[in-house]
Amino acid sequence: MNETLRIMIVDDELIVRESLYHWFKKSGHTVEAVSSGMEALGILEKKPFEVLFVDMKMPRMNGLELLKRVKEDYPDTLVIIITAYGSIETSVEAMKLGASDYLLKPFKPDQLALVLEKIMRERKLTSECHYVRGLLEEITRFDNMIGQSPPMTAIFDLIPKVARSESSVLISGETGTGKELVAKAIHAESFRSKGPFIAMNCGALPDALLESELFGHQKGAFTGANQARKGFIEVASGGTLFLDEIGEISPKMQVDLLRVLEEKKIIRIGDREPIDVDFRLLSSTRRDLAEEVASGRFREDLLYRIKVITLHIPPLRERKEDIPLLVKHFLNKYSHETAKQVDRVAPEAVEFLKRYGWPGNVRELENAIERAVVLSKSRTLGLEDFSFIQPSPIHFGRGRTLKGVEKDYIQAVLEEQDWNVTESAKVLGVNRVSLHKMINRYQLKRPP
Amino acid sequence: MTFSETYSFMNLKQPCIGLAPLGELPEAALQGVAAFIRTHLNLEARILPPFQNPTYAYDQKRGQYNAATILKAFKSMPFDDGLDKVIGLMNVDLFIPIFTHVLGEANEGGRYALASLYRLGRSADRVPASMDQIIERLVKVAIHELGHLFDVGHCLNKHCLMHYSGNLADLDATSLAFCDYCADFLAYAIRRERLPNPERQP
Repeated sequence: MNETLRIMIVDDELIVRESLYHWFKKSGHTVEAVSSGMEALGILEKKPFEVLFVDMKMPRMNGLELLKRVKEDYPDTLVIIITAYGSIETSVEAMKLGASDYLLKPFKPDQLALVLEKIMRERKLTSECHYVRGLLEEITRFDNMIGQSPPMTAIFDLIPKVARSESSVLISGETGTGKELVAKAIHAESFRSKGPFIAMNCGALPDALLESELFGHQKGAFTGANQARKGFIEVASGGTLFLDEIGEISPKMQVDLLRVLEEKKIIRIGDREPIDVDFRLLSSTRRDLAEEVASGRFREDLLYRIKVITLHIPPLRERKEDIPLLVKHFLNKYSHETAKQVDRVAPEAVEFLKRYGWPGNVRELENAIERAVVLSKSRTLGLEDFSFIQPSPIHFGRGRTLKGVEKDYIQAVLEEQDWNVTESAKVLGVNRVSLHKMINRYQLKRPP
Repeated sequence: MTFSETYSFMNLKQPCIGLAPLGELPEAALQGVAAFIRTHLNLEARILPPFQNPTYAYDQKRGQYNAATILKAFKSMPFDDGLDKVIGLMNVDLFIPIFTHVLGEANEGGRYALASLYRLGRSADRVPASMDQIIERLVKVAIHELGHLFDVGHCLNKHCLMHYSGNLADLDATSLAFCDYCADFLAYAIRRERLPNPERQP
């Protein structure tokens, strides 16, 4: 079978459009022909094309203007400039703007065939490159963490440093902020990266089951223990053990875990012989463990053992500048996974996503993008694709302090009023001086 | 096994292909194309009385004949209704607006095609080609365009008649046969051709 391309011809001359259209059709390509740059951009909004053949001289928007717009908005789309009035200057300018080729009308019959051959070769190389890059991302996982905000950049800088030590790390952050991703990245960057990475959610299991899962058991240790089984601590030997939601474990489990960390030995349930273990502990929590210690729910000595190094991942609402980047990342991911050609989000939709509070953090954003991609009928996600999100900029979930909620509310009002302090003060029912004091106290800053 | 042996439609009424000479043309060239259609494609081929050179399609600026203009004019010419497809054969330099020249032209799935001898007498090393070689090339161009009339597209197989030949070296590299894939497609299209053709005169 022939390889085929999705080609758009943009030329104000009907005869050129017709000739090219029929020629491409004969080679089995999917072709669309339009007479202006604006029409071309309108169609590109709705469906993707791999190659555009663009006439240089057109009324209103000329070929170079269209080339510039296409390369800004759809960098993967190749543009071939065609012209009857060629000059070295324009060809250099076209190539600088990103044109893949520059053809002088009329072409020799084999010239067009050669250009298409070249495009298909390039396309094959690009898709192979994407495939290999995807595989590498899967392996390293560090690349799956997205962010350019100052707190995320600080975390990216810290990970390699933290990874090289053997100290325990406590990763704190609200649910859905990506604590496990950080743990995986630390493991992947550490000397233990060739060993196993074992993740366990402590909050999901009852105490007895958690004990058996962590320490393992001997045959006959309890009803149903038909054979001996290694625990996760033993399995993680030589690698990393990640205990998610460590703040949820019972006082008894806290004692058992403390002993393991101090002695580097475990005893399987129903056994007496200690087994040496060699693992690095990473743990995470969404609770304030210092408060838990103060209230007597968490052992202070265990806390010092597990938080030799602490990393805090801020909630998504505190790093809104990362949202466009995350949206792009998830859009790529789900348009590949679902084989739907959705590759853009309208600016007003991005603004809406930035305004939303994201109580479920990055996980909630990822789910929202996946749902929107699956249900979208256009290549561009618009506001209507996110109508299932009920705007609630302030997150009142458990564990939040009054100060935290107050800070978020003030921030939300300021953003709603485009940082007009007078208007915001009116909405908040305070005077301008008080609002300025609050802004300083909470160190609120207008996003860049 | 030849195309006609593989796809025999002896018990069906075969589509009839008209060969229309436009201007002066060697008789052997017309006979060569007709013979290939009859023996290899097992279709009827009828050589029509000669038509005048299509001077209306001559482009002064380019000094060439516009193939698209000739094909449009064919639609209003009184061709016999019994002809399913018509190939105009000529000896002038043809072009379409986007190309410097073409050896032949057809609209896919249409009724009319063109093939010209004009550029077939040369060779890469500038040695004039023999008459046999010229006729073989003309047959290749004409049958390639006929393939388009039956909706067969370009083929990546460099030896297939439906491979796009941008120059004479490519044309010489194709054989006088369709690849299996295009042969199947053509056989299917020929069967389908017995349905009414919308481009034909009432």
